[in-house]
Amino acid sequence: MIDNHERADEPYEPPEELGGALEGANLASPVYDAGDLGALTSGWKLALKSFAENRLAIAGFAIILFFILFCYVGPHVYHTNQISGNVLNSDLPPGAGHPLGTDNNGYDELGRLMIGGQAALEIGFFAAAIATVIGSLYGAISGLIGGFLDGLLMRIVDVILAIPYLLIVLIIATRWRGTVLSLSLILGLFAWLVPARLIRGEVLTLRVRDFVSAARVMGGSRRRLIFKHLLPNALSVVIVNITFQVADAIIVVALLGFLGFGLEYPHVDWGDMLANANTALGNGYWWLVYPVGISLILVVMACNFIGNALRDAVDVRLRRR
Amino acid sequence: MTRVLDIKDLSTHIRLSKSTVQAVGNVDLYIDEGETLGLVGESGCGKSITGLSIMGLLPPGGSIVGGSILLEGRDLVGLPEEEMRKIRGNDVAMIFQDSSSSLNPTKNIGDQVMEPVMLHRGASKKEAYDRAIEVLELVGIPQAKERMEDYPHQLSGGLRQRVMIAIALTCDPKVLIADEPTTALDVTIQAQILRLLDDLKSKFGMSILLVTHDMGVVAGRADRVNVMYAGRMVEATTTERLFDEMRHPYTQALLASIPKMDQDNSRALFSIPGLPPDLTHPPQGCRFRARCAYAQDDCAESEPKLVGDSLHVAACFHPVVGGPLREDQMLTLKHAASYHGVGSSDEEPLLKVVDLKKEFPVTSGAILRRKVGSVHAVSGVSLEVRRGEIFGLVGESGCGKSTLGRVIVGLERPDSGQVLLDGQDVYAKRGKELVKLRKNLQMMFQDPYGSLDPRMRVASILREPLAIHKIGTRKEQEQRSIELMGEVGLPKTALERFAHEFSGGQRQRIGLARALTLNPKVIVADEPVSALDVSIRSQVLNLMKRLQGVHDMAYLVISHDLAVVKYLADRIGVMYLGKIVEVASGEDLYANPAHPYTDGLIKTIPLPDPRGERSKKDVGIKGELPSPIHPPSGCRFRTRCPRAQELCAQEEPVMRDFGVGHTAACHFPLIEPVQLLASKGSTQSS
Amino acid sequence: MARWLGQEIEPPRFCIRLHKEGKPLSGYILRRLGTSIVVIIGISMIAFGLLHIISSSPGRAVLGLHASARAVAQFNKANGYDDPIVVQYYHYVVQLLHGNLGYSYKLNQPVTSLLAENALRSLYLSGVSLILAILVAIPLGIYQAVRRNHLGDYLVTSGAFTFYSMPSFFLGLLLIQAFSLSLHIFPAEASQSVSVFGVMADPRAMFLPILNLVVIQVAGFSQYMRSSALDALSQDYIRLARAKGLSQRAVLSGHLLRNALLPMITLIGLSIPALLAGNLIIETLFNYPGLGLMFYNALLNEDYPTLLSYTLIAGVLTVVGNFIADIAITIADPRVRLA
Repeated sequence: MIDNHERADEPYEPPEELGGALEGANLASPVYDAGDLGALTSGWKLALKSFAENRLAIAGFAIILFFILFCYVGPHVYHTNQISGNVLNSDLPPGAGHPLGTDNNGYDELGRLMIGGQAALEIGFFAAAIATVIGSLYGAISGLIGGFLDGLLMRIVDVILAIPYLLIVLIIATRWRGTVLSLSLILGLFAWLVPARLIRGEVLTLRVRDFVSAARVMGGSRRRLIFKHLLPNALSVVIVNITFQVADAIIVVALLGFLGFGLEYPHVDWGDMLANANTALGNGYWWLVYPVGISLILVVMACNFIGNALRDAVDVRLRRR
Repeated sequence: MTRVLDIKDLSTHIRLSKSTVQAVGNVDLYIDEGETLGLVGESGCGKSITGLSIMGLLPPGGSIVGGSILLEGRDLVGLPEEEMRKIRGNDVAMIFQDSSSSLNPTKNIGDQVMEPVMLHRGASKKEAYDRAIEVLELVGIPQAKERMEDYPHQLSGGLRQRVMIAIALTCDPKVLIADEPTTALDVTIQAQILRLLDDLKSKFGMSILLVTHDMGVVAGRADRVNVMYAGRMVEATTTERLFDEMRHPYTQALLASIPKMDQDNSRALFSIPGLPPDLTHPPQGCRFRARCAYAQDDCAESEPKLVGDSLHVAACFHPVVGGPLREDQMLTLKHAASYHGVGSSDEEPLLKVVDLKKEFPVTSGAILRRKVGSVHAVSGVSLEVRRGEIFGLVGESGCGKSTLGRVIVGLERPDSGQVLLDGQDVYAKRGKELVKLRKNLQMMFQDPYGSLDPRMRVASILREPLAIHKIGTRKEQEQRSIELMGEVGLPKTALERFAHEFSGGQRQRIGLARALTLNPKVIVADEPVSALDVSIRSQVLNLMKRLQGVHDMAYLVISHDLAVVKYLADRIGVMYLGKIVEVASGEDLYANPAHPYTDGLIKTIPLPDPRGERSKKDVGIKGELPSPIHPPSGCRFRTRCPRAQELCAQEEPVMRDFGVGHTAACHFPLIEPVQLLASKGSTQSS
Repeated sequence: MARWLGQEIEPPRFCIRLHKEGKPLSGYILRRLGTSIVVIIGISMIAFGLLHIISSSPGRAVLGLHASARAVAQFNKANGYDDPIVVQYYHYVVQLLHGNLGYSYKLNQPVTSLLAENALRSLYLSGVSLILAILVAIPLGIYQAVRRNHLGDYLVTSGAFTFYSMPSFFLGLLLIQAFSLSLHIFPAEASQSVSVFGVMADPRAMFLPILNLVVIQVAGFSQYMRSSALDALSQDYIRLARAKGLSQRAVLSGHLLRNALLPMITLIGLSIPALLAGNLIIETLFNYPGLGLMFYNALLNEDYPTLLSYTLIAGVLTVVGNFIADIAITIADPRVRLA
């Protein structure tokens, strides 16, 4: 694989003069006395390997993939009418024609699960993306600039973080029409605080690392330090964070739906489907509760699995010495 | 003499998630009563695991897979945990390397020392309390009674290490295992702790297993020495014989690769090529074979067993004859002097530092950040580095030497003073001109892990300086990288790799290559080898020295290790608490130190020479470095100086001449200053 | 000296002792208090700002859609809602300082009295579940750390992971299905008693909501405790404690516990917003008349003064919680106390 490896297999010839292990005076030909190099593995490959070896992460990926197919391809295969309900068919138990029964408006539960999943996944993803983008920029700016502005920016984070997230999101949700976009915005606009703190901390530790100092000694511009060294190294933290953000956003949007502040009828999210779950259970309509609940848990768990595995993988890459 | 500890054929493995490290393999070792046994080897050779095996405190995944550990005839291997607990801290005690993390931060000193007595001796709280004070006094803790209520973070590093020793001694152990007990400490404190261990050994009548990587430490303190390499015991004998008549080539090579104080620095250090083997897949045959100058075919076929008499055993088919390597057996290194020569003292110096000051504010408060004091890191330092010269800067940790280095390369702004490169003030420049000037001033860092961007391939790391200064086309830049890799002894294929794929020594080489990329005039090297093992250290030192000669650069080498600095440098500056106290050529400094601090520093350094070490009378420098927030008045060294008088507290000594290029700042120097000689009417003028 | 169970007890370790070399603690606490006040002022600005943006014309809200524009303007003028925003904020703060959180036009009641009515019942629910959760999570986390990568650890981790990935109401639904609908052991509705003593007297009715909150919190706390304990376990002082010959129990209780608890204190301080959010869901699900249910009803009524007052109180509680946690850390950690 590399020439140095082959060298190691040859018997080592003792030089005539002891101590000649260093052919010090011979400058023309370089001396490869630095020892063997280990097997070639790139950083991302190593991370990928560690990730791939994590069975939970693979399961997580499979679950997410399944639900993406289920929610987006499913409706093209399994056609149901989700536009207008049919009260005559309401609350049917699972059976012929309706594998998962129907809800109290007579919508087919399986078909509803598919389009509700679309909303959950979309809101989860958009909200996480908004939160991560805002948080990363905010945190990076705060950490890079430092000084008074950093103190001010972080106090602002303290203030917003002190207000319970769910409360503020609910208050705003009462005012806005519940669409996928508006809910993503509301969630994202109040969820960026944690990533902001995370990125700032990462930037602060990276800033004093020797490799950044080395680039400064070379005369590297501020721009270069930020874009070539700080941000690429902080990126892994951002990526790990996204997955957890998706999981959190899906849970919160489910809470909103459960409390009745989710998407506007007839649009539906998994949380909205559970808004009357308590009554449904009381009436024995279990099919209106468990399929949705289990889907929800599976997707959130899958995101958390992936997040944990990514975090470990990134750690492996950085810690391996 | 009775045999207190007798280890036979011990093998310890550590199971990791996917592989098993054969950390210790078939190791034999014994300690007699009242004896100090030195267990020496490089990191990862299994010496610490051997110590932990005795204690039954192996890390997760670790287990003893064979052999026996007899403590006064009783086998500790396979002893139930409950029985083992009665032995730990009672019959066998252990002290660890890092006292700052080894003491429980939330328990006071008294409680931590009292614990073992109450546990093993069934002592009452009162008895334990008295015993704790007694032991704390024995280990030299002043006002032990008041210190009982203190928490570890309130003590200095040296005192903490003493507390750890006190904990180990409370129950009069038969064997004390000291795992690198002084590695985390400064040389001056190291000498004090080693002396203390020696005193305590006779007072308590115990045996000591001294685990260390430092040949100098065992030379003075051990009765016998065992050398380990790659999980195997390779040689065991008395300390004198090991240093004078070693048999194993590894021992010989290891000793030869340590720079000594009287080393001829025009010759290359002996260095062992390559790296120790990976113990998850240990090689067939002799494990040192691949790096051994004496190896022959049979070394690959089978593994040598320990052979010899009761006094001296070694595991080698082709043992060394004739003792240590002589200097004339080593190659002459044509270094700086012979290529280009050092600039003369009349010439304008290449790098000039004038009255540099740097303080760090100590603040308190979250919003207002009131300044409550300042750390006087560098307090008025002036120095000159000439063209083609290596200037060494030594001092204990916290003396401000690293800060000085960072200020010189522009990582920190000085509060006052100048840094002149080729007569141009670095801090007067701005923008493009500064960047241009900086090209000539590069740096090599201490931490081989932190100094390379983990997200970049070596090729990008080496190209970066050229890219920043927009030198050459991409092709030319790549060509330059290949060239540089050759210069630092790494194959071209290494360019495609990431930093984490290299060993520590290889990373330091890459760091050096990066510093070389721009052909700078000066490289500031901050502790370039202190993170490396002895055998790797000499490789890097040789490389640094060779490249300096080839490229006609000057180095400013910063290190706590006087021997390293002495080997590398033409001239040396000694720094103490933010000030330079003495500057002289290496030879001059070593032979005729003027400042008592320099003298003490030279005396404290443990030398790999048993006779020299044993003949040392005092511990060199007493006490510990005062806080740089409130440095002592007058001469900053006076609080620890044996020669200090009233004048030293009142007046700060100025730099005086003690010969050509030899200056020191002391009121009561060890040798007479030059002008004094002149004023006495002496005809001598040197 | 006090005697307790026949053992001599030292004066409590964690009483604040001003050490001879330590800086006076009061300075640190004062500074920390200053920061907290700044944050609280920030929260009041946000609460006020939101109230202003969302419900900019309270007159319209109070008088309804059919009221004339003049009547609305008159109402706003009479109540100072057309003053410049700074003046309005000033009045708002003055009112806050007098303990007046605003007026719920929907319920025709001052918000302060509304909050006071419900606060105790919520405090009971949150307090009991928080204490139980801490008591369960700490030993559980330590157990997991000690038995790392063994079956017990895997089981607890999987359980925690599942509960952590579950919306809190869904766990509640499962509990209702199991204990109430199927087994008929506990009622699906929490105690409706007006007085908090009445609630306490009815533990059966409170069992499910409390269990629900405890499980959700344990899922988070225990995993944090596990990593904190793992971190402490890998420290050198644990190795030294073992080298002294201490038993596993003595090592854990004497050396690990306190060190591993330090980060937990901060976490518990930080978990107050989650606790309040949890209350909102659980009280709604179990129809328990506390602050959470009050908030839910206010949401349905679009009763903004109530909503934002509660948000303000929640924010202040969070700040106070963090402040208390900081002081607790200062007391428990000699490195902070005697820095």
